[in-house]
Amino acid sequence: MAQKNKIYWSLGVTEKGTRALLTDENSKFTWLRSQRNRRVVVLLELLGITLIASGSYLPTLAIGSIQLSREADIIIYSVTAIWVTLLTLVAYSLLRISVRGIADAPDELLDERQITIRDTSFRFAYLAMGCLVIALLVLMFFGPDLELFQPEGNDGSYLMIAALFAFASAPSMILAWRERDI
Amino acid sequence: MSRNSEEPVFNRIEEARAAAGLSRQKLANLVGVHYQTIGYLERGEYSPSLVLALRIASALRKEVSELFSLTQPKEGEK
Repeated sequence: MAQKNKIYWSLGVTEKGTRALLTDENSKFTWLRSQRNRRVVVLLELLGITLIASGSYLPTLAIGSIQLSREADIIIYSVTAIWVTLLTLVAYSLLRISVRGIADAPDELLDERQITIRDTSFRFAYLAMGCLVIALLVLMFFGPDLELFQPEGNDGSYLMIAALFAFASAPSMILAWRERDI
Repeated sequence: MSRNSEEPVFNRIEEARAAAGLSRQKLANLVGVHYQTIGYLERGEYSPSLVLALRIASALRKEVSELFSLTQPKEGEK
């Protein structure tokens, strides 16, 4: 008789799926099982977040002697921002795939070490996010007075998008960085 | 990864496992952990709970005190 595949509704995973991710049974994205590749994805995500955040500070394009019209300038700037955001989203998706086996697995399918590394990674992320929130609050209070943002257009919204990405990906980034080859 | 990073726990899991002719995967199955966790334990990067230590000792037919110690075991010590 076939074994029943338990569904963990609150976590959005199934027992078979999780077990397959924790072993070599799942043949998809096997290249994300190596710690080196996962760290590359973490670095790409960090780069993406940094680039998005810098959107609030970078002036619109002024490349050498190229003189663009104001409209063309804004279009190029916006298209670049959209692409950077999309690529960061792709990196985020890969990051989630790489740690999904441990990050989303119910405790009963993990051993004590996996539970420990997951919980400590999430705690580090929580602390890091707390610091980020404080930094954002400081920026909100003093940013406008210190003219930290551009007067037109980018009023810190890119910084907020980057912060949201950081909130969403910090636990996975820390877990992906710490866990060895799976 | 250690439960108490100031006080490392030394172990002889790797040699006891080799002596028993078990692979990491086989030992992992016997004690109910992921095979990667056996690697962490053997490298001393993770100190097991008492329950896991007892399970490992039982699987390797050893006493817990034979496998784990708070001091570095001397060469050739049984």
